[in-house]
Amino acid sequence: MAEMNPLRLWRQMLALPNESKNKTIAIAFVISAICAVMVTGATVILRPIQAQNRAMEQQARLEALLAEIPGLSQLLAGSDGTSLTTVVVDLQRARASPNVTPETLPTELADSRNWTQLTPQEDIANLGSRADLKQIYLLRNAEGSVELVILPISGTGYGGPIEAMIAIEGEMNTVAGLTILSHNETPGLGGRIDETAWRQQFASKQIRDETGSVRLAVARGAAATEFEVDAITGATRTNSAMTRMLQFWLGPLGYGPLLDAIRRGDF
Amino acid sequence: MSDLGALFIRSAFIENMPLTLFLGLCTFLALSRRPGTAVGLGVAVIAVMGVTVPLNHLIYRFVLAPGAWTWAGLPDLDLSYLRLLTFIGVISAAVQLVEMILDRTFPALFTTFGVFLSLLAVHCAILGGSLFMADRNYGLAESTVFGLGAGTGFAVAVIMLSAIRRRLAYADMPDGLQGLGIAFILTGMMSLGFATFAQVAQP
Amino acid sequence: MKLWGTLTDPILRQNPVTLQILGICSALAVTTTLAAAITMSLALTAVVVSASGIISAIRKHLPSSIRLIMQIIIVASLVIVIDQVLQAFFYEMSQRLSVFVSLIATNCVVLGRTESFALHNRPLPAMTDALGNGLGYSLVLIILGSVRELFGHGTLLGYSIFRTAEQGGWFEPMNLMLLAPSAFFLLGGLVWAIRSWRSEQVEVSEYVLAPSREGANE
Repeated sequence: MAEMNPLRLWRQMLALPNESKNKTIAIAFVISAICAVMVTGATVILRPIQAQNRAMEQQARLEALLAEIPGLSQLLAGSDGTSLTTVVVDLQRARASPNVTPETLPTELADSRNWTQLTPQEDIANLGSRADLKQIYLLRNAEGSVELVILPISGTGYGGPIEAMIAIEGEMNTVAGLTILSHNETPGLGGRIDETAWRQQFASKQIRDETGSVRLAVARGAAATEFEVDAITGATRTNSAMTRMLQFWLGPLGYGPLLDAIRRGDF
Repeated sequence: MSDLGALFIRSAFIENMPLTLFLGLCTFLALSRRPGTAVGLGVAVIAVMGVTVPLNHLIYRFVLAPGAWTWAGLPDLDLSYLRLLTFIGVISAAVQLVEMILDRTFPALFTTFGVFLSLLAVHCAILGGSLFMADRNYGLAESTVFGLGAGTGFAVAVIMLSAIRRRLAYADMPDGLQGLGIAFILTGMMSLGFATFAQVAQP
Repeated sequence: MKLWGTLTDPILRQNPVTLQILGICSALAVTTTLAAAITMSLALTAVVVSASGIISAIRKHLPSSIRLIMQIIIVASLVIVIDQVLQAFFYEMSQRLSVFVSLIATNCVVLGRTESFALHNRPLPAMTDALGNGLGYSLVLIILGSVRELFGHGTLLGYSIFRTAEQGGWFEPMNLMLLAPSAFFLLGGLVWAIRSWRSEQVEVSEYVLAPSREGANE
């Protein structure tokens, strides 16, 4: 009986005619195995770097938003009492979530119990369901009261999901700035929501009127009131998608109760 | 229900695979000289996409997606990086299946298709359909509608182009434009025309 | 010397895109900016060279019944690895290129070259041919990317070349350049230009018009 030397087996297999069934199966197996190892190896090794990239991109977007808000950089550089903090909030209870941290948030969000299904009438931003836990950023002053909040918002645009962050200041009724994190809108038309000039219109716009209803919106044409910004020409669908997104997240089903709590000083 | 209808219209016309997303152009341009071959290609694409996109959706959702193995106690297992290999495998198998079925039931049609059917195994548009489905998290019904819609859009576009090119066979044009050159320019004009669909109001 | 010919032929004389109608699919969508076009070119060239090398090395032992599927598996695996590398080291770019990097797996250039050349030649000529085709493909992509970015944004690689009206300059960006049809028109024009220069690539017309004769209408 010849020794079961692996190298010998290998050579014997290679010596078989190409069309033999055994060789076909063996070659198929070997190649598939090598490819699987290569692919899995690359993925596993590179995964931590990719996660880091995602986190860094988020951070960069945040910093870009902060840089655009007029006067904010002075505010941050000034008194030592002010600092930007992040916290996970529970939207249903309108307060900070006691047990969830930004690190544990992804795991919590994988649980479907932390999502609220929206009825078609409620779901004006076409989200399907709304997460009950959201990570927001706050700027507290030296006395501890909240001067600025940065809230992640999302909606469905014409070409796909739109993700943005809105900064709200003062009595929680004035927009400080808006930044778009991602979108799939048509370049040159709806894609112009990403342009600095358009987004800067949002600074100093008011969110709610005296009756308490959310009035912040993209106008039908040129902005007429302190609640509106100019529409983008030729991007009707994107304009209305932005309006609906803002009205959902600033309303009672979004951050509305949270903003009320902050205004009352309960946060 | 109207959501699915809107999705069909959107995947067939507004996000037409060859004319808006640039997918499937190799076969689109190479097989659009005669309306006969174009019709064959169109029907084949609709059939294969209608089958593979929902099938790939099921496999993605229950085997590859993050969280698919939660029932087995492995909620963190994320095999989505294998989706490319899996989708290609499923598409090749589906093409083989469609070939066999056609051979049994419509042999005349099978001979007209000839070699095109095997080409579909590595078709950018067919694979692109599955990849978009995975990226956009469609459900099963949406996947089916998306697959059929995208296939229909491809078929409509290739049949239209073949009709125009057939007419142009009699036209006098500069030598350098003959064949591929004019096909590109025609496709560009059709793409421009399809871009007007972008303004169609959806419910 | 033969290797040099193998390398340079596909750049102009046998360009995969403009003559062989290969690889157009994933090419056009990513040419809205020059940076994306360059990244895509590099990714494709890397895949086609490695795939050709590997397949050429094992060609003697590849049973023909599983030939095609094995090639597809090898190419797809290479594409996945490159995709992961892009996501790790060039994150923003990979977001922009999204599914199109994965579509390199079905790119006609890659499978076309492995099927027709790598399977029948030794590794070094196979890889040279692959490199040549990669360069030919890159040439087309870079031309398209430059023109579209320059006239669509007024920039090249992000650096402002034409000052746009937004920045107080004279240039009004051509929005058409950012949409699909422009790529087709540009490519048609490019094909026309190449074939006018190298007339051996001209396709023969199927029907030749008979010359009209004096008094033909009798």
